[in-house]
Amino acid sequence: MPKLIIDNIPVEVTQGKTVLEAAKSVGITIPHFCWHPALGKAGACRVCAVKMVDGPVKGIQMSCMLEAQDGMVVSTTDAEAMAMRKQVIEWLMINHPHDCPVCDEGGECQLQDYTIAGGHGLRRYTGKKRTHVNQYLGPHIEHEMNRCIQCYRCVRFYQEFAGGTDFGVMGSAGRIYYGRVADGPLESPFAGNLVDICPTGVFTDKTARFRARYWDYDMAPSVCPHCSLGCNTVPAARYRELLKVIARQNDAVNGWFLCDKGRFTNSAVNAPERPRVPLIDGRQVAWEEALAALLLRIREIGTEYGAESLAIVGSSGLSMEAASLLHLLHEKTGAGSLCYFVDAGEAQQSATVTACLNEQASASMADIQAADLIALVECDLLQDGPMMALAVRQAWRRGAKISLVEDAAGTVAQNDNGLNSTDKLPFEVERVASLIDIPFADAAHPVIIFGGGDKMSEVMAEAGKTGAKLACLLGGPNSFGAALLAKEYGAISLAEAVADKKVRAVVSVEADIPPELLPKLVVVATLDWRNTETVKAAHIVLPTTAWVEMDGTYINNEGRAQRFKKVMQPGLPIKGLNPSLHPPREHTPLVPGGQSRPAWEILVDIVHRLGSEEDIQLFAGQWQRLRDLDATGNGLLLTDIERGIK
Amino acid sequence: MIDNELKITLEQRVAAAVTPREAAVEVMKELQHHYGWLTDEALHEAANLLGLSPLQVEELATFYEMIYRRPVGRRVVHVCDSISCWAMGGETLLEQLAGRLGIGVGETTSDGMFTLLPCCCLGNCGQSPTMLVGDNLYGGLTLEKALDILQREREGIETK
Amino acid sequence: MKLVPMRRMGTRCNVIMEQPLFQHNKPGRCVTFAEYRDEGGFAALQKALKELSPKQVEQAVSDSGLRGRGGAGFPTGRKWSFVPRDLPGPRWLICNCDEMEPGTYKDRVLLEANPYSLLEGIVLASYAIGVRHAFIFIRRGYETATANLQRGITECLAAGLLGENILGSGFSCTIDVHSSAGRYICGEETALMNALEGKRANPRAKPPFPAVKGLWGGPTVVNNAESLANVPGIISKGPAWFKALARTPEAAGMKLFCISGHVVNRSCFELPLGMELGEIIEGPCGGMRPGSRFKACLPGGASTPYFSAEHWQVPMDFDPVAKAGSRLGTGGIVIFDQDTCLVAATLNLVRFYARESCGWCTPCREGLPYVVHVLETIEAGKGSREHIAILQDHIKLLNYAFCALAPGAMGPVQGLLNNFMDELEEHIDKQRCPFKARE
Ligand SMILES: Cc1cc2nc3c(=O)[nH]c(=O)nc-3n(C[C@H](O)[C@H](O)[C@H](O)COP(=O)(O)O)c2cc1C
Ligand code: SF4
Ligand code: FES
Repeated sequence: MPKLIIDNIPVEVTQGKTVLEAAKSVGITIPHFCWHPALGKAGACRVCAVKMVDGPVKGIQMSCMLEAQDGMVVSTTDAEAMAMRKQVIEWLMINHPHDCPVCDEGGECQLQDYTIAGGHGLRRYTGKKRTHVNQYLGPHIEHEMNRCIQCYRCVRFYQEFAGGTDFGVMGSAGRIYYGRVADGPLESPFAGNLVDICPTGVFTDKTARFRARYWDYDMAPSVCPHCSLGCNTVPAARYRELLKVIARQNDAVNGWFLCDKGRFTNSAVNAPERPRVPLIDGRQVAWEEALAALLLRIREIGTEYGAESLAIVGSSGLSMEAASLLHLLHEKTGAGSLCYFVDAGEAQQSATVTACLNEQASASMADIQAADLIALVECDLLQDGPMMALAVRQAWRRGAKISLVEDAAGTVAQNDNGLNSTDKLPFEVERVASLIDIPFADAAHPVIIFGGGDKMSEVMAEAGKTGAKLACLLGGPNSFGAALLAKEYGAISLAEAVADKKVRAVVSVEADIPPELLPKLVVVATLDWRNTETVKAAHIVLPTTAWVEMDGTYINNEGRAQRFKKVMQPGLPIKGLNPSLHPPREHTPLVPGGQSRPAWEILVDIVHRLGSEEDIQLFAGQWQRLRDLDATGNGLLLTDIERGIK
Repeated sequence: MIDNELKITLEQRVAAAVTPREAAVEVMKELQHHYGWLTDEALHEAANLLGLSPLQVEELATFYEMIYRRPVGRRVVHVCDSISCWAMGGETLLEQLAGRLGIGVGETTSDGMFTLLPCCCLGNCGQSPTMLVGDNLYGGLTLEKALDILQREREGIETK
Repeated sequence: MKLVPMRRMGTRCNVIMEQPLFQHNKPGRCVTFAEYRDEGGFAALQKALKELSPKQVEQAVSDSGLRGRGGAGFPTGRKWSFVPRDLPGPRWLICNCDEMEPGTYKDRVLLEANPYSLLEGIVLASYAIGVRHAFIFIRRGYETATANLQRGITECLAAGLLGENILGSGFSCTIDVHSSAGRYICGEETALMNALEGKRANPRAKPPFPAVKGLWGGPTVVNNAESLANVPGIISKGPAWFKALARTPEAAGMKLFCISGHVVNRSCFELPLGMELGEIIEGPCGGMRPGSRFKACLPGGASTPYFSAEHWQVPMDFDPVAKAGSRLGTGGIVIFDQDTCLVAATLNLVRFYARESCGWCTPCREGLPYVVHVLETIEAGKGSREHIAILQDHIKLLNYAFCALAPGAMGPVQGLLNNFMDELEEHIDKQRCPFKARE
C-alpha cells in the first residue's frame, strides 16, 4: 500500500492505482479525458499533468500514466502543470466548433467543464478550423466529428472493451477520424455506450436529440427491466417523457456500461396507446367505478363458477413490492390459483435456479470478469443477458478460457435471426461436447453460466463437484423474486393451472396471458402500464405506473435485490398531447393521463375493499430486510434469506 | 478480383507471418500493386486474407502515406518537400511540375498517367531535389530533368 | 583492412583513414557476396561463433563505446545488457531502417552499396542477445536497399551463415525484411513494434521498456542499421581498435555523416566521430558552394536545434554537440547559406512534423499545426511579439508529448529562438520576410 502526498494531503492507495486515482480518493479531481476507470491508461490527451516535486519520479508527469509509489510528493497546483493543462485545453479548442448551444452534450460536457476549469477563455489561434464530414451510424447514435478531441475513448471501448470491429480510428496526425468505413448502423450490441463514454458531444443519443439540457432532466437511480441481470441505470425524463437512459456505475453488476437493449428499448413508457385511465369494457371510467366493477365481477365469478375458477397471475417483470402482495389477493378472493409465472418452463427454471444458487455460490458479474475459466451451457448471452457477454469478454481478454458446451445436436441456442449466436459473441470459445470435458480442476476461479434447459441437474452436479461459481440467466428482471415467492406460497404456473382446473377468470398483474387462452375467459382484469394483447382483451383495465414512475425493487439473476427510484411523474408526455386538449380544458389537479398508480398500491386498495381490516405493510415477515434498501448501493444478496425460509 | 495465383501467394505470406496482422502492410501493398490503388474491393479482400474486418484494414490503410485509398494514375509522382529538397528548390519544383503537367498538386493527369503528390523526405537528400516515380528514385532534379524522366516513364509504360 | 584515401579531402584533413562501413564499397554498384566474403567479411561471425560466448560479444560491443546511430546515441552494448535472458518465450531483434528523418540518408547509402555488414551484424547481435528471429524494418522508397537485403539473406542462407545451425555452431537465426508503407513515426522504436505487428503505428507507453516487453510482449532490442553494421568490425578488430577510430578520446568509432544543403559535395561520408563541424564542411564537403556563405546548419537531422557560425569548431560527437545546445542525432547535416530564411526553413521543418504526427497525443496533433500557423503568420509579415511567446510556450510544453516526435519537432524552433532571434524579430518588426523582399 503505497503512501504518497498530494497537495500536502497524505494519501494511501492500493498497489497499482495511478496518481490520478490516488488524488481522486481524497477529493482532488485532476482533469482527464482519455483515462477512464474501465478502459485504463492511454496517455493520449495529456491534460492530467501534475508536478512530481519529490520521490522516485520528478518533474511534470501525466498522473494517469504514473503508478502511485511510496514517497511521491505531488503538486496539482504547480504553475507549470497548470500551464500545461491550460495549453492542452487551448489545443483542443482550436478546432472545436463552439456549437455548445445546439449540442446535446451541453451542460454534461467534460470539455466545457475543463475549459472553464483550465481558465482558457480567450482565443489566440487565428487560423482556419479543421472540419469533418459526419456519418450515419444508425437510428440511435448521432455523429458530430467536429466536436472530437481525439481522446481515443470511443475506439478503445468499442474495439478493445466490447470487441466490435466495424467502428474505429482512421487517418493520422490532425486528420484522425472515428467512424466506420462507410455510413451504416453500428453493429455492436454495446454501441450505445459511445454516448456515455465520449467526454464531449461527438456521440449523442439520437433518440433524445434536441430535447433537453442536463439540468432539465428528471433523473433518479434506477434498474434496467429488460433482462434478469439488473444493470444499474439513470433514466432521464422531461415533461413526463422518458428521453434516454444512461448507464449507472455499479462494479458488482454492470460496471460502467449498458447494452443497447437496455438503453434504447424504452418507447413503451411514452407510447400514446399506453393505458392511462381505468377502463371497463373499453370505456374510460373513474378509479372508484373500475375498482367497484372489479369486485363485482370477482363475486359474480364466484357465484357462477366458484372462486376456484379465478387465477391471480403475476410475472417476472413485476416489482417485488407488488409481487409480494399477490398472495393476499389470492387469499381474500379465494381464487383457485396463484401464479407468478405464465409459462411452466420459466417457472420450473426459475425455481431450480433460485434453489440451486442457494446451495452453490452464485457468480456476480464481477466474479465473471475475474474468472479464469468459464463454461457456457445452453445460453444465448447476447439475447438473454448481453452485459454478461461483455463481462465474459473481459475475462477472456485477461486470458480466461471460455468453453461452450454443445447440445445433443452439436449446436447451441439459436437466436431470433436463426443465426448461431456464438458467431457474434465478443470472445472466442472452445466447443466441447460435455461439461466433463472441461478442466475445472486446473482453474482457480471457474464459473459456469447456464441459460436454462435440460442440463440443469448436470450443471448443478458439476458446480457442486468442482466448486465453480454459477451464473444463471432468467426470464425477467424479478424472476428470482417471483420464484422465491412462488415457492413460499406454493404457487404454480398459469399453464399448469389451466391444465389442472377450469380457469374461467384472471386477474393479471403486469402479466401476459397467452392469446389462445384469452377468448376462453369470462373475466379478464388486468393491472398494467403496457398496451399488451392482454390489456386489449381485458374487460377491466387498471393503469399502473411503469418502473420509472415509481419506487420499486427487482431481484436479479444472482439473487441481488436492488431498489429503483421514481424518475418521473406518470402522465401523457407533453409532446404527445393533442394540441386541442392543451391546455387542459378540464380543471383538475391531475396531469393528463396521470392517473396511473403503482401496482402494489392498487393491490392494497383491492385487498382492503375485499374486506381486509389489517394494515397492509410492504415487505412483511422475512422480506423486511428489503425495506431500507439504498438505491445507490450494491443492493442486497438474498440467497441467505431464502435459506432462512427453509 | 485477384487471380488465384496472387491469392495463394498472399495466403502463403500471411501463413508465414508470426501473426496474420504482421503481413497486413505487405498484403495491402501487393493488392495496391495489383489494382493501382487500394480499392474498396481490395480492402475487403485484404480483410478476408488477414482475418480482420474491413474497418480494421482501413485503420491501417489510412495511416500510411503510400497506401492510396483514392484512384491514382499509372504512376504516382512523389516530390519530396522536406528540408534538404526545400533548400535546393524542391518547393518550386513541385509547383512548376504541377503547372507543366496541367494539374494541381494531388491531382491526376487527364490521360490517367501521373498523380502528383508532395511527400516526406525520400532519403535522397544528397541529391536534392528528388522525387519517387512508382518505385524509382530520381535525384538532382531540375524542372527539365524531371519532365524528361516523366516522359521516359511514360514511354516505358506505353511500350510495355 | 584496406586503407582508403578519402576522396575529395580538403587541405586540413588530408589523411588516410579506415572506413569499416564503406571499405567494401565498389564504385557505382553493390558489392557482391563473394567480394564481401573474400575481403574478410563474415570473419567476425566465424570468430564469434567459434571463440566467443554471447556474453563476450556483448562485452566487446560495450567496451567499444559504440553508441546508437539512430538518433538517441544510447550505448548499444548497454541496451543489449538490459534484455532478461531468463524469461520464457522468444526474444526479438529489430533493425531500424525506417530512416525518414529529413536530411538523413545514411542507411540507404550503406545498404545500396553493401547489405552484408548489416546482415552479419544482425546475426552477431542475435547471437549476443539470444535472438532466433530478427526483423529488418525498412521504409517505402528504399526499394534497391530492400532488394539487396533480400538477395543477401538468400545468399547467407545458402552459405550457412543464416538459418539453422549457423556454421555448425548450433546457433540458429532467421532474418525477415518487413517493408513499410511510409510514415516517419514508424521509426520511433515502440511505434515501430506496433507497425511490425500490423497495428496502427502509435508509440507505446514506456515503461515497460522494449528490452523487457516489446514485440508481441517479448524482450526486444531495436537498433539502427548503422549501429548494427558496425558490430562485425568491433568483433573482428576488437573494441580498442574501434574506439580509436574516433578523432577525440571521448568519442568512439566512425560515423556516417550525410550532408545536404548549400555545400559543394553533398554526400554521405564515413568520418571519425569528433571531427569539428568546420573541418567537415571545409574538408569532405568541399566548402560552401560558390557564392554561398555558411549561415546555419541542422547538425544532426531535422529534429536538432540549428548551429550557427559560432559552432564552427564544435567536435561532431554526441556529448560536445549536446553541450553546444543541439544534438548529434542521426548525423544528417543540413547546411544553409546566407540567403536562407530560417523562419521559412523552420516552417518547412515543423510542417513536416505536423504532417507526420501519428495523431495519438494532443500536444503533437494540435500543437504542431498551431506552431505551423504561427510561423506562417510571421513569415507572411503578420507576426507579433505574442507569437514569440506562443512559440516559447510550445518549446516548453511540447516536451510533455507522448513520444519524442513532438519535442524533436521543436528542436529547430528552439534553435531559431536561441541563435536567430534577431531574424525572427526582423520579420515581425518589418512586417515582412526580409529574404522575400530582397528578391
Ligand atoms: C519520431 C522518431 C523517429 C525515429 N526514426 C528512427 C529511424 O528512422 N531510424 C532509427 O534508427 N531510429 C529512429 N528513431 C530512434 C529510435 O526510436 C531508436 O532510438 C533507435 O532506432 C535505436 O537504435 P540505436 O540505439 O541503434 O540508435 C526515431 C525516434 C523518434 C522519436
Ligand atoms: S508526440 Fe504524440 S502524436 Fe506525436 S508522434 Fe508522438 S505519440 Fe504521436
Ligand atoms: S529532404 Fe528531400 S530527400 Fe531528404
